[in-house]
Amino acid sequence: MSSPWVYAARRLLLAVPLLFGMSVLIFGLMRLVPGDPAVAVLGYKATPEGIRALREAFHLDEPLPTQYLRWLAGALRGDLGVDFRQNEPIGRMILDRLPVTLELTLLATLGAALLGIPLGVLGGARRGSVADRTALAVGLLGVSIPDFWLGIMLILGFALGVGLFPSGGWVPISESLLENLWHLALPALTLAIGRAAVLGRLTRAAVLDVVQRGFVQFARAKGLAERAVLFRHVLPNAAIPIVTVLGLQVGYMLGGAIVVEMIFTLPGVGRMTLDAVLERNYPVVQSTVLVIGAMFMLVNLVTDILYGVIDPRVRRR
Amino acid sequence: MTRGRVTLVGFLIVVALALAALGADLLPLGSPTEISKDQALRGPTAAEPFGMDDLGRSVLSRVIHAYRVSLGVAIAAALLALLIGGPLGLVAGYAEGVPDQLIMRPLDVLMAFPAILLAIALMSVFGTGALLVAVALAVVYTPIVARVVRAAVLATKVELYVDGARALGASVPRLLLSHIVPNAATPVLVQASVLMAIGILIEAALSFLGVGVRPPTPSLGLMLADGRSFMLQAPWMVIFPGLAIMLAVLGFNMLADGLRDWLDPASGGR
Repeated sequence: MSSPWVYAARRLLLAVPLLFGMSVLIFGLMRLVPGDPAVAVLGYKATPEGIRALREAFHLDEPLPTQYLRWLAGALRGDLGVDFRQNEPIGRMILDRLPVTLELTLLATLGAALLGIPLGVLGGARRGSVADRTALAVGLLGVSIPDFWLGIMLILGFALGVGLFPSGGWVPISESLLENLWHLALPALTLAIGRAAVLGRLTRAAVLDVVQRGFVQFARAKGLAERAVLFRHVLPNAAIPIVTVLGLQVGYMLGGAIVVEMIFTLPGVGRMTLDAVLERNYPVVQSTVLVIGAMFMLVNLVTDILYGVIDPRVRRR
Repeated sequence: MTRGRVTLVGFLIVVALALAALGADLLPLGSPTEISKDQALRGPTAAEPFGMDDLGRSVLSRVIHAYRVSLGVAIAAALLALLIGGPLGLVAGYAEGVPDQLIMRPLDVLMAFPAILLAIALMSVFGTGALLVAVALAVVYTPIVARVVRAAVLATKVELYVDGARALGASVPRLLLSHIVPNAATPVLVQASVLMAIGILIEAALSFLGVGVRPPTPSLGLMLADGRSFMLQAPWMVIFPGLAIMLAVLGFNMLADGLRDWLDPASGGR
């Protein structure tokens, strides 16, 4: 029962009904849109022929369960239907934009870890010191700062003001890695700072918790240098909760990416979702929300499994 | 700052903002809606410390009036979520077994989306408006509240004093209301403060993205969105509304931190 593999398998199995529930919720939600979805999608360009063609293309005349199963079966094969406005397969459009969102999230995660973990360790290792109080204050400010406003301020200061970074836009890695990173620096920082603050607060708490344990006091008592105590005894034990929270923050960033991609005009899945919402392009909204939701769930699932693998106590629950 | 001072400062910020929002019309402020072209984009002065926007409206006055929407939406959403999520969590935690599964598994589905994404998806269906933002936020919050209440109930109902009351013949509603609910109230109070902070952030984000509060209602998110076009000529149009959001969120976060440490000294904040 306590093998990590059994635990991982059980977690995976639990994810299946959850994913099913998510798909039902999104499908149901999009069918709650008042009025005829065909008219909503076509907007002012709606003609009787256009509406009829759209109803047929989306099988809107079929009963809802049939429509749902058709959509689900397609989604499982990777076929999310066709965007009626761009006349492009939605799955293809998402795949084209996914690398942007993934790279942004990855860089932001790296930034959050590099900023947040040292901040928390510094504070937690010397409770009550100036470093600790500074870390606490920075952490509190960081979790309170709205990321969309932070993005605007970074543009104002570093792009429009000093001119160090571009204020938006995207260059693929295949074209130039340097240009790519240069364009992603401010967006990744925007997304990272709030998460770094959360991570810093938790790291501090985790370190504080470990520092009070008997084995740390013993290591100190036997004359081990403070630095060795920290790196050999405190940090490895504090790592488990830190990894977990980092995982949760990655998931959060997938949501935050929507706002950041909009501010920095990055062509990612988040921006695609927002554009579709503003255009009332429901077939696209339905698909992107499912994809982002599934990725969010996957990140949380991996974190959960990792947590169980690192810490055997979790598996017994 | 000590634990007590963090709580106090957070509490004072929250009270001050709430009073300012409520009494906005009594304060000596310019009109938040009156357009005067000759004042357009005028920078901060002693009389108008936050400057004027592109239509010559007082940014300070608009910020304070916008707090009504911010705080109103956040409070309405938290109350609505308590009203729905509270009883659900109570039943799930007390009954366990099948009712627990029936209540909590569908709520897990809501929790499986990033909060902002779920809110945007809901708003895309609801349409825009302050009341609808509150409803969307309440949907996002309900599973969070239900989980907190359920956990508190699970922890409380095994206490000896609850067994004692049961042995003395107390009915289930009586057990719940006079013994279990009061003990679940403290974590819910902390959570409510956190939800206020998140609510102010998400309302501002939704309005900023164009799927939240509808203009001309003054909203901090909308002000930021408008200000973006004038960022270089009139940076005060984006700086002050953002600082205003941050101040309110900071106030509720400090209050939550302080309450958490106060109610659970073992959590070790200092």
